[in-house]
Amino acid sequence: MTDLLANLALGFSTALSLQNVFLAFIGCLVGTLIGVLPGIGPIATITMLLPITFGFDPVGALIMLAGIYYGAQYGGSTTAILVNIPGEVTAIVTTLDGHQMARQGRAGAALGIAAIGSFFAGCVATIVIAALAAPLVKLALLFGPAEYFSLMVLGLAFAVVLARGSVPKALAMILIGLLLSTVGTDLETGAERLTFDLTALTSGIDFAVLAMGVIGFAEVLKNLETPELRDLAKQPIGRLLPGREDLKRSAGPIVRGTLVGTALGIIPGNGAVLGPFASYALEKKLAKEPERFGKGAIEGVAGPESANNAGAQSSFIPLLTLGIPPNAVMALMVGAMTIHGIVPGPLVMTKNATLFWGMIASMWVGNLMLLIINLPLVGIWVKFLDVPYRLMYPAILVFSCIGIYSVNNSPSDVLLTGIFAVVGYALLKLGFETAPLLLGYVLGRLMEENLRRALLLARGHFTTFVERPVSAGLLGAALIVLAAAILPSVRRGRAEVFTE
Amino acid sequence: MPPETERRLAIRAPQNFVGGLALIAVGVVGLLAARELDTGRFFAVGPALLPRGVSFLLGVLGLGLVAASLLRDGDPLGRWPLRGPIFVFLGVAAFALSVRTAGLAVAGPLVAMVSGAGSPQTRPRELIVFAILVTALCIGLFRYVLHLPIPILIVPGVLVL
Repeated sequence: MTDLLANLALGFSTALSLQNVFLAFIGCLVGTLIGVLPGIGPIATITMLLPITFGFDPVGALIMLAGIYYGAQYGGSTTAILVNIPGEVTAIVTTLDGHQMARQGRAGAALGIAAIGSFFAGCVATIVIAALAAPLVKLALLFGPAEYFSLMVLGLAFAVVLARGSVPKALAMILIGLLLSTVGTDLETGAERLTFDLTALTSGIDFAVLAMGVIGFAEVLKNLETPELRDLAKQPIGRLLPGREDLKRSAGPIVRGTLVGTALGIIPGNGAVLGPFASYALEKKLAKEPERFGKGAIEGVAGPESANNAGAQSSFIPLLTLGIPPNAVMALMVGAMTIHGIVPGPLVMTKNATLFWGMIASMWVGNLMLLIINLPLVGIWVKFLDVPYRLMYPAILVFSCIGIYSVNNSPSDVLLTGIFAVVGYALLKLGFETAPLLLGYVLGRLMEENLRRALLLARGHFTTFVERPVSAGLLGAALIVLAAAILPSVRRGRAEVFTE
Repeated sequence: MPPETERRLAIRAPQNFVGGLALIAVGVVGLLAARELDTGRFFAVGPALLPRGVSFLLGVLGLGLVAASLLRDGDPLGRWPLRGPIFVFLGVAAFALSVRTAGLAVAGPLVAMVSGAGSPQTRPRELIVFAILVTALCIGLFRYVLHLPIPILIVPGVLVL
């Protein structure tokens, strides 16, 4: 306990330095600014804004990135409520009741309760991260390559189950991700793999390039398909602070949403996605008049928004302690950290204590910042929504091209992004969801490295993965998860969760 | 269902059929590209194991999707409008080719204007003004505020900014 307090004190002394508070502020501000543009999720936002963090020291840069991430998340919720366009999967639930509230002229209350719920969730999640970090890091240090490999298999199994759409298609996306991760020079033998003799590919495909192409640009292409139809709530936003009655109704959902979201966010393989859906289902079940849901029930905004933010934050846990990114956004954070010379994993906490605890403390600062800047600025965010898409997307592309170019100062990266954009668009049209592809890509390198190391240690015996108890347990869990996904009853449940 | 259609082998899930074919293609390309790599021995896994194994599995999944698309009804292929993808790709490619040789002052408006043509709702004059404004903003932000090493304007033999 005293350790925890001492660590948090160290963190806050870092996070509250003038420069870092300022960076957190800028991060939250521009994150929201970009995130509030319809159809731009956190992945595209972070990639686009990555270059603006280059000039700062690692601590400051990561604090700014975290701010951008939260800002993008919150921006997504804002568009969900005001325009009925969720910035990303986790904000889909918010559209159900949030947009209804906006149409009834209660957009202000919806935005307000979303911010308050998110802030509460952020406070709790910060403490949970701080409390779990030390024990998990100890555990991680006991892990050998075999255990790491099996843990990542489990993460990918979860990713298959949690993806929307069909199981074989999600599996195929993960495999393509794994395949793409092998492109480039093999680290152990120096052999060039799948490079087709192109120099641009010898050092592998940069994650930012892949993510921006397959997710960011492909999303732009998809939006271009449909002529612009904005369901902008023209009603006045209304008072921003929820009234006493609203707060009373929301208190329970906020607390429950926070718990659900935090717990699900820790699951490797993008458990955070489930949080808002689970919370919405839970509140509907607990409600005295469930028929109010879908017609502007404030509980349907408060719960899922809290779960959303809690999950966004607790998904940092696997990354910071084990060095394993649980979803695509965290994978992007790995890339960003690597650019700043930090390899995420169990060693960061001991080797780089200021950075580690500073970042955790800055999560709380970021949440507070969002509460302070977002509510008063709602009027400006709404103005942004008036910019027509025919002008918005060329601007998005200019920013993104500069962003991609700046990562490695490489024009061929930009070209590659364009190619991945077309590929990603084709995949979307064929009904493949691309998020598992990114996860497969990121885990691919780590997995292969650990697989080969484990086999070397075991003198080539594949049995090492089942002989070591922890590794065997993790693999068993992965099998159970995958088997469960194929069971008809669970399949129905999945379909229900994602259609609601 | 009339007996005729029952007997004929028809593609009942076009989206999955094409998706499956695409997976098979990726698998084949992967296997071909990894052909010359060393598989390694048991003791040390070579660089070919993962690409080959994964390519093989992709091919199998693709075959499965194709087979299933003949047996069960599924989603149609849908519309594939090409205007957006073509112009956006050309715009991005133009940026890639011009940013080092001509600088951001050329590459920026180029990507905005070419890709902007991808929307059926585009208005040319408005787009040109907007493209120049956005580029000016980006030059100010990335070069002068953030000091990124990105060339602004290059006229070969005359000027490098």
